[in-house]
Amino acid sequence: MGDKFSATRRQMLKGAGAAGLAAAASLVPAGHAAAKRGGRSKAKAPRWAMVFDLRRCVGCRACTVACKAEYDVPLGVWNTVVNEEMVGRYPDTKKPFLPIRCNHCEGNKEDMIPPCVKDCPEYPKERQKYITPDGKKIRYRDGATYKRPDGLILNINKYCTGCGKCIKACPYGARAFNKRIKSGKDSTKNGITKCTSCAHRIDKGVVPACVNICPGRARVFGDLNDPNSEVSKLAKEFNLVKERDKTTLLPGEDTVPMNFYIDPDNALKTKIATRKYTENESFSCKVS
Amino acid sequence: MQKITRRDLIKLGVASGVVLATGGIFKGNALAGSIKLAAGNKDFSPKTGVERKMIPSACWSCVTRDSMIGFVEDGRLVKLEGQLDSIRGLGKLCSKGAAGINQLYDPGRILYPMKRAGKRGEGKWKRISWDDALTELTGRLKKLRDEGHPEKFMFHYGRMKGSSSKIVKSAFLSTYGTKTIGNHTSICEVSKWTGQELTWGKHYDNWDFDNTKFVLNFGSGCLESHTNSIPLLQRLVAAMVERNVKCVTFDVRLSNTAARSTEWVPIRPGTDGAVALAMCKEIMDAGLYDKEFFKFIKATPNPNASTDEKVAALKKHLAPYTPEWAEKISNVPAAKIKSLALEFAKTKPACVINYRGTAAHYNGTENERVIQMLAAITGNIDNPGGRCRGVGAKWKYPKGPKKKPKGKKLKILDGFPGTVAYPTHHVSHQVLKMIKDGKAGRPEVYMWYCYTPVYANGDCQENIDIMKDESLIPYSVCVNAYYDESAALADMILPNPSYLEWWDWEDMVSPTQVPEYYIRQPFVKPLGESRDFKDVVCDLAERMGFPLGFKSAEEFVRMSCEKTPGVKEAGGFEYMKKQGVWHDPKAKPKYFEYKKEVKGEDLKKEGVIFDEATGVYWNSKKSKKPDAGYTKAKNAYKGYVGQKIGDKVYKGFKPDKVNKSGYFELYSELLKIKGKQPLPNFVPIPEHEKMGAGDLILTTYKVPVQIHSRSANCKWLTEMYHDNPAKINPKTAKGLGIKTGDKIKVKSKVREITTTAEVTEGIIPGIVAISHHLGHWEYGRYASGKKSPMATDNDSGLKEKWWKTYGVHPNWIIPNSPDPISGQNRYMDTVCKVTKA
Repeated sequence: MGDKFSATRRQMLKGAGAAGLAAAASLVPAGHAAAKRGGRSKAKAPRWAMVFDLRRCVGCRACTVACKAEYDVPLGVWNTVVNEEMVGRYPDTKKPFLPIRCNHCEGNKEDMIPPCVKDCPEYPKERQKYITPDGKKIRYRDGATYKRPDGLILNINKYCTGCGKCIKACPYGARAFNKRIKSGKDSTKNGITKCTSCAHRIDKGVVPACVNICPGRARVFGDLNDPNSEVSKLAKEFNLVKERDKTTLLPGEDTVPMNFYIDPDNALKTKIATRKYTENESFSCKVS
Repeated sequence: MQKITRRDLIKLGVASGVVLATGGIFKGNALAGSIKLAAGNKDFSPKTGVERKMIPSACWSCVTRDSMIGFVEDGRLVKLEGQLDSIRGLGKLCSKGAAGINQLYDPGRILYPMKRAGKRGEGKWKRISWDDALTELTGRLKKLRDEGHPEKFMFHYGRMKGSSSKIVKSAFLSTYGTKTIGNHTSICEVSKWTGQELTWGKHYDNWDFDNTKFVLNFGSGCLESHTNSIPLLQRLVAAMVERNVKCVTFDVRLSNTAARSTEWVPIRPGTDGAVALAMCKEIMDAGLYDKEFFKFIKATPNPNASTDEKVAALKKHLAPYTPEWAEKISNVPAAKIKSLALEFAKTKPACVINYRGTAAHYNGTENERVIQMLAAITGNIDNPGGRCRGVGAKWKYPKGPKKKPKGKKLKILDGFPGTVAYPTHHVSHQVLKMIKDGKAGRPEVYMWYCYTPVYANGDCQENIDIMKDESLIPYSVCVNAYYDESAALADMILPNPSYLEWWDWEDMVSPTQVPEYYIRQPFVKPLGESRDFKDVVCDLAERMGFPLGFKSAEEFVRMSCEKTPGVKEAGGFEYMKKQGVWHDPKAKPKYFEYKKEVKGEDLKKEGVIFDEATGVYWNSKKSKKPDAGYTKAKNAYKGYVGQKIGDKVYKGFKPDKVNKSGYFELYSELLKIKGKQPLPNFVPIPEHEKMGAGDLILTTYKVPVQIHSRSANCKWLTEMYHDNPAKINPKTAKGLGIKTGDKIKVKSKVREITTTAEVTEGIIPGIVAISHHLGHWEYGRYASGKKSPMATDNDSGLKEKWWKTYGVHPNWIIPNSPDPISGQNRYMDTVCKVTKA
């Protein structure tokens, strides 16, 4: 399994780098990963993932506002939203809620590069080192949009040309122009806003803002490489990784999302979940 | 050494996560790893990575008053989160709470005292100094007081709780001498409170979701907007997901709560009481009642009735209320009523909950009594997992000057004579009508605080007309941070800060039945010249020659912390400033308080007498005319000591506001005196009985992202919710030839509004639903598109604002019309006609 998903030298140069390596482990069902690697002391980054437990989402949008505040996100754009859709005929009506944010995609099996990173003309850029919890180093390349070895898809505005290709590339509408900032390389264009999984918080040991606030505890965040994490336990209980075609958004896009849904009301079958965003569209939040 | 609880472990986990992250074990650019992430209490700038300064405080967006923490960066409040150490909120906050920052930095904030410069309501203002403002106000107030008419100063508040209430009402206004103090409870849920005061005494029901096994919900939106929202929301979700607790919700709409419930049972407006009555009948007939609890129930006029007699009386009373009868009224299938009744009675413990869906009707008080009965006959009262009397913090505080005059009041607070049987929390929506009427006198100074009489009451146009009329209200003062529809009609505006800039102690009910003490402290200094009104009254009192004994709200809170047992020993004010919250770790949850026996010596105290008619021991000194007997003697309830049941005297269900006995009163002598049915029953809504063809019932509701009437200025909220089309079921819409997006007219007997239709499967046929919150015509650019006269342009959002709809306010067409028992305004009863515009 490890070999099958090991990044080739070419892929490393292309940019998936060590991120691919570390990421491969997360495709192994939780709990098996450590055993399979046996005694090998390969550097292992966490594989951050989010489980949206839709049994617990009440559509309150605390997450949406917490995110607005954390980053002072401008009006008109969002890094995370909760959408809702009325389904069924009265009186057998249901109203599932669907929280969405950047899926921090793994990218497909072939290159392990998510579409936004793939389409970014300013990727790869500088070499960077990622220090794992056990003190080992993983090398990777940054870029205007890049994947960190722990799976987070992040932006560096100083490289950004404001071309908007990443926005078009993302089928989930998880990216948008931030009208308050200019792109680093072209002052006539805007930079990008998107969910960072609150990298600045998790790097210092605190859960993302949306997870912190969520009153229903519908957002569970953690390391899929750690079999004892809550996300791993939920993944195991609900077959979230094994059956990712049923637990993630737009599986047909083969982006391999790292947001998983526990979905009792078939929210993933609604229009809001199956909608593919094209061109410059981004998701928005409307309460009805 | 204390026992370590689960909560302590969570805290330990949190702490260790932080240590790991900051202890320098991991070096490099990324400290992340398979470490346990802390749940919160820390935040960092995403731009610089610098840790933001943390300050614990309390929310004030809604009455929940959740404990929270705020993060300050470069002197600016940037983020609000839940308070992890709070046993109520458990570190959680809602969207409105998190958007509180928008309240603080609203570019429409009023930052200076303002005086009207044109005609009233014309929108012309002149900035004045605080000294000028207070000199003018002192002059007017002192004159009234000196002339012996302090009651002509009317103070009307919307939200005043905890220390705010004590400083302004208990210390300032009572020393000043006016009792013409209005509130807003009758436009909220007063029928619940009066219903509870008539049955179990003190108002406020806590729902013990942590321990319940079944939840039966009549018209509460507790998963989206509740008076104890965050504490209860998360516990209900946890109960459902972690313990498979079933929650069945009756509602006219597929609210978020209904949507998330195990089952939504659609029901006709105002008929919940019929369904609950039929359930009571099923349970009694099936013999599933709790015999033990019946000992504490009063179900007949005889206080010494045996349980068998009470059961028989109740069965007889309930005989006509069959499930089939209820089905005809409510459209809820009889079989469903029967099965839910049996399930509710057999599942122990079970919790029946309700709110505005039952409350804001003509029969609101009766509905409350019926639901109380459902809980009582199944023994789900004051028990783990049931419906419990709320428990909040009991602060000690300075009371102001010892010498207080005998207060006077204008009789304009409780509605027109004879219209409301027990206005235990006043009838605020009738105040303006009564001022217009004038028979009971008129205030010469009308001041309002955290209240918008024009917008929040029904019949907005009537409110505007009265508020504008200087012959009816000669002088008006608005205390507000924002230029809302009511501020626009004031003669003077005193600029209050937002709640994020002031001090308070708080005491809201705890979901765990263990009281939590907590404070609110400022994150930043008040903006501009805004001044906390609590500090202003200290100043006013001083100017009028009766200093309150403390100079500011901060001093009051400090003094309270040093006086209050528990808080004092924990470290008093300094501890509270640092921690924000305190509860006694040894305190046991308060259940079954009614079962406690009264000590013999308490019955022998001077003045304590036994009332044969009710079985109540009470201190007759509390009433001026004790000879009338406990039930009829004025204020007798204040002397309540205990209830004799058999040969014992119990604490029972202590009365509050009215002279009920210490029994859990299903049979109410007090209602009988007023010519009402003494046992809980179903009262049809008169207007609904007379509906013609094509008439619809208007229902109102709240969404999870707005507060009732005070949040449309919050850009992050209004961005998500700035339009409120009228919701109509497809069947009803088809009959009217209406499609989604059509302009429609909704006309009541008061007047009509024009709005947009939204045809939806999430609502019952025969009604039209319009939310509160929107349709502002002032309140700033985010709320109404209109810039207030004193607004600045100092907010990045003003250029980014993209919405151009502001919704329609339903209150224009809802009359101010009280429930005849409590005075509740009937927001869910209005009959209207809907036509294409």
